[in-house]
Amino acid sequence: MPQIEVNNLSKTFRVPEREAGLWASLRSVLRRSMREVRAVDHVSFTVEQGEIVGFLGPNGAGKTTTLKMLSGLLHPNDGKAQVMGYVPWRRDSGYLQRISMLMGQRSQLHWDLPVVDSFLVHAAVYAIPKEQYQASLKELVDLLELGDLIKKQARSLSLGERMKCEICVSLLHRPQVLFLDEPTIGVDITMQARIREFISTYNRRYGATIILTSHYMADVTALCKRIIVIDHGRILFDGALEELSARLAPFKVIRIDLDRELDGYDFASLGEVLVREGRKVELRVPKRSAPLIAERLLSDLPILDLTIQDPPIEDVIARAFGGGRPAAESASSTDGDAGSA
Amino acid sequence: MTIILRSFLAFLRAAIGVMLQYRGEILLWAVWGLVNPAVLYAMWSAAAESQADKTVAGFDRGQFAAYYFCIMIVGHLTTAWDAYELGYFIRSGRLSAMLLRPILPIWDALATNLSYKITTLAFVAPMWAIFFWIIKPTFTAGAWQLTLGIVATVLAGLLNFLLGYVVALVAFWSPRLDAIGETYFGVGVLFGGRFAPLAALPAILSPIAAVLPFRWMFDFPARLLMGQIVEPAEALGGIACQLAWLAGIVVAFRFGWAAAVKRYTAVSG
Repeated sequence: MPQIEVNNLSKTFRVPEREAGLWASLRSVLRRSMREVRAVDHVSFTVEQGEIVGFLGPNGAGKTTTLKMLSGLLHPNDGKAQVMGYVPWRRDSGYLQRISMLMGQRSQLHWDLPVVDSFLVHAAVYAIPKEQYQASLKELVDLLELGDLIKKQARSLSLGERMKCEICVSLLHRPQVLFLDEPTIGVDITMQARIREFISTYNRRYGATIILTSHYMADVTALCKRIIVIDHGRILFDGALEELSARLAPFKVIRIDLDRELDGYDFASLGEVLVREGRKVELRVPKRSAPLIAERLLSDLPILDLTIQDPPIEDVIARAFGGGRPAAESASSTDGDAGSA
Repeated sequence: MTIILRSFLAFLRAAIGVMLQYRGEILLWAVWGLVNPAVLYAMWSAAAESQADKTVAGFDRGQFAAYYFCIMIVGHLTTAWDAYELGYFIRSGRLSAMLLRPILPIWDALATNLSYKITTLAFVAPMWAIFFWIIKPTFTAGAWQLTLGIVATVLAGLLNFLLGYVVALVAFWSPRLDAIGETYFGVGVLFGGRFAPLAALPAILSPIAAVLPFRWMFDFPARLLMGQIVEPAEALGGIACQLAWLAGIVVAFRFGWAAAVKRYTAVSG
């Protein structure tokens, strides 16, 4: 039996809107105009115990709203969901004790206290037995290399240090289901890699089920065998990572800073020119050819800086699904996958 | 229940730790809590002294001194600020982290409230003593009045905290709650007997004060502590009214909270 079952889940928000300017502002006092935004639109999927599933999609796609419904923060307008047999939005304390949701930009730590004091509060709230708390703390401090960080005030930590502490506090009670919303946002590349490694270890060690959202392809490729792509509240793709990579991101973006402006060079012959402003040039090139093209650029041009990057996830999805909307054939095939997954 | 108690104590320890980080700020808040009744005492005692019979609404200078001395203590021990704070937690997204915990956020708020009273006691107790020495109040309270007065003050603290929290639930529908917080505070000052003893209110306002819960939060415990309530039956009746209001507010909280979390949109996090 799947650990997470989601069936036709929908969430609509009513948001106020008005035109810009003072006149529109005055008009809105008398008559407030509201618009309905369907953040999640009949989403269905299942997740087996121990799976790590990556939720991908552009900003506002519905990823975080889905996670918030599954963690019990939001009530859906329609549809059903069960996680470990619980209906999340009933907010049963037994359920909340077995899950954790890490929101990259939200802190669970007491800002003014040493981090370890927040851990002690967490241990009391989650009724963690003393021995288990000591064991979990030691394990997490070692794995995350926290050391003396836990004695520092949360507000004095760097973003990367704080994220590690946030992860630690989220896992002290050894949740069986983890919802990770942008767990590596804002931290440097080394720290991102360390956090990914840790998530993978936690999954293996405790058989935890994990759904994560991220804007970083590297998070997804390192951790998830299965991907769910969501946009405009609908599932566009649900399947294996290999299939997604081949279909969505068979290219790289090369960014260069030139020593001086060059007018005559034919960048278009190397790839699609995304940006050409003064001394800055950005090219989209086939993934396999990226090293060769980079080598050629370095030998041909006076280059100050060159980077090869995965394209932004929004860009990848927009290209693969025709501006973010499912193409007819992909919608029929992928929605079918989603329903049966 | 054990988990709630253990969590509450953990919240309390953490909140005291936070309060001690901001010693200067909490000292200023505590001083502000003293200034208000001190000014009102000066105003009403001057008014009483100017009358031919040296009284206003049956209070002479010494009784005003006792009344505002008790209001000072009761006001401090019953203070609550969730009517202002919950809206901020919703707007900033901090409530999301609280809602993910397997315990209602109100326990955290109650622990924070209690921590303020514990940590400020060392500052305000000497100030109370100095105020007492300067204004020379007329006290007539016996042991039973002081005992019931302490019980009434504890119940008043719970009442003000819980009612403020229930009012704050409006923030789930309209997160800009500051005006509602101010209104709640202002109505409490007027109809609770903090601005003037209820006996001094204009006749048109007295029936309103009688049906609102604020008199049980300030006026009743203050008059009990100063010894103005002389009949045990009246004192016990007042405590019964406090308990009835508490029960009603707990029910309102349960329904209000259930509706509020359904409404929650988890913005900003």
